[in-house]
Amino acid sequence: MAALPKRIIKETERLVSDPVPGITAIPSEENLRYFEVTIDGPNSSPYANGVFHLELYLPDDYPMCAPKVRFLTKIYHPNIDKLGRICLDVLKDNWSPALQIRTILLSIQALLGAPNPDDPLANDVAEDWKKDEKKAIEVAKEWTEKYASKKEYSEN
Amino acid sequence: MGNVPTKETRSRSNSLISEFTTTNTSSSSTKQRRRNTTSSSTTQSNGHQRTNSTDLRKLKRQEEKDRVQQQHYMQLIVKYDENVDGGFLAPYGTYKSNLDYDCDIVRKLIINRELAPFFTPLQDYNTSWTDEEIIILCSQLTLHAPEAGFNEIEEEEDDVDNHKIHKSSNYYKRQEEKAKLKSLVARVKELQMEEEAKFHKMKQIQDKQCFSNDLYLKLYKNPLECPICFLYYPKHLNISNCCFQPICTECFTQVKRLDPHPPHETSNDPQPQQLISQPANCPYCAMTDFGVTYNPPLDIHTGINGIAPMDYKLLSTIAQPSPASTPPPIIYTDYIRPDWNKKLENSRNKLARKAATASAIHASNLIIDNRSSGNAGDYIEQRMIEEAMRLSLIDEEERKRKNSNTK
Repeated sequence: MAALPKRIIKETERLVSDPVPGITAIPSEENLRYFEVTIDGPNSSPYANGVFHLELYLPDDYPMCAPKVRFLTKIYHPNIDKLGRICLDVLKDNWSPALQIRTILLSIQALLGAPNPDDPLANDVAEDWKKDEKKAIEVAKEWTEKYASKKEYSEN
Repeated sequence: MGNVPTKETRSRSNSLISEFTTTNTSSSSTKQRRRNTTSSSTTQSNGHQRTNSTDLRKLKRQEEKDRVQQQHYMQLIVKYDENVDGGFLAPYGTYKSNLDYDCDIVRKLIINRELAPFFTPLQDYNTSWTDEEIIILCSQLTLHAPEAGFNEIEEEEDDVDNHKIHKSSNYYKRQEEKAKLKSLVARVKELQMEEEAKFHKMKQIQDKQCFSNDLYLKLYKNPLECPICFLYYPKHLNISNCCFQPICTECFTQVKRLDPHPPHETSNDPQPQQLISQPANCPYCAMTDFGVTYNPPLDIHTGINGIAPMDYKLLSTIAQPSPASTPPPIIYTDYIRPDWNKKLENSRNKLARKAATASAIHASNLIIDNRSSGNAGDYIEQRMIEEAMRLSLIDEEERKRKNSNTK
């Protein structure tokens, strides 16, 4: 494998030396472009108290193209589908090379706090969300408790 | 009924004559040739001629393409004696792909001091370093990134073509092109190594085109970190036109339009004319149509159209006129990749052909379904002929355009 670009090395170092509260990103030992990520659910959201596990991969063209990010923890959210794929503009056409792993993970955390059922990826969830938001939020809370509690993940 | 065997015997006798009467070949062979031309092969030979001329044209076009590609890659070689204000005309090699910017344009912009040169980056910097340490570090810098650079087609790269059962003629063409590119890239690397060796030798004899210690200090003491590649550069970098953020030239040449794509809100089945291509946004503030300006340093004017970089001294350049009478031009990303329009048109044509093929397949399915009802079949056949004509017209137009482009 080609040498790791300085940018990736420095980003990784800065993630360790200056961590983001509520977010962890640890590079895999075998592949320094692959990160194991956790994001704490935002306090005022149905995902509060949940710890969500994600995987993040920096493709060869990074930072000229966006990192690939996916939820590993099951989550009930109109912009995240069954496979954990995320519908977020900055992960696609609105990616900018001035963004970083840090900023992207913060954007995902913000998406948890502000679901957008009008631009859905999980159509069924978005439908539920628009039909009965209260109920949808209840389901999101249930799923968070069931799949994203700290205790639950360590048991699996 | 009787005609057919006569013909056959005559032809056989002819061939017999031509085979055995070597002394008298002229008459029989002309006869034979005449026979051939009167037969059904007339149309065939005509068709053959046409393919020969298109083959020739294709070959010429391919040769031109190869020449352009070769020239492009040769211009990616960093040469020590092609320097401007402490930087070079070709990229250091931080990025291995997306090097398809127009080299002629970028080189000219750098020489005209309208775009920062490609400076050699420092991988690290520490404010505690002494001048001596900085000079030692700088004198060890190479022209190009030491590891394999350029858009390398690696052995282990997963080639989609290798998974195909059916290998089309395009497959062989693509493989050939890949092999050609690979050998070109290998050649360019070799040349860069030679240039590196030459540079090393020239530094030892303090060649005029190598940098003086004063120039190294001027460039690399308290450098600036490019916010995109995180590498350290001399302070006079390009500045974004919209939000005044620095960007090194190597990162700037990476920023380009996205490939032509359907607008976000359209369905899965976009029409060719719907494909869009928009200018790149500013990576920092997302302003549309990203452009940079470059203010060349007033106290460094070395290399091409300047003094020899070895003659540069820190103290000798205090008194300087201020020539900043005209504001520097804004260099937009489209300016260094002027072919975006052609790309968009190509994508639209490609999609149009795809759509036409799809509808032809759809139509032929209808024929099979409606074979019993004759009229519908006739109608669809007519439609298919029309579609085929439309397709070949698109092809012809594209060919003409390509021809005029290469001229």
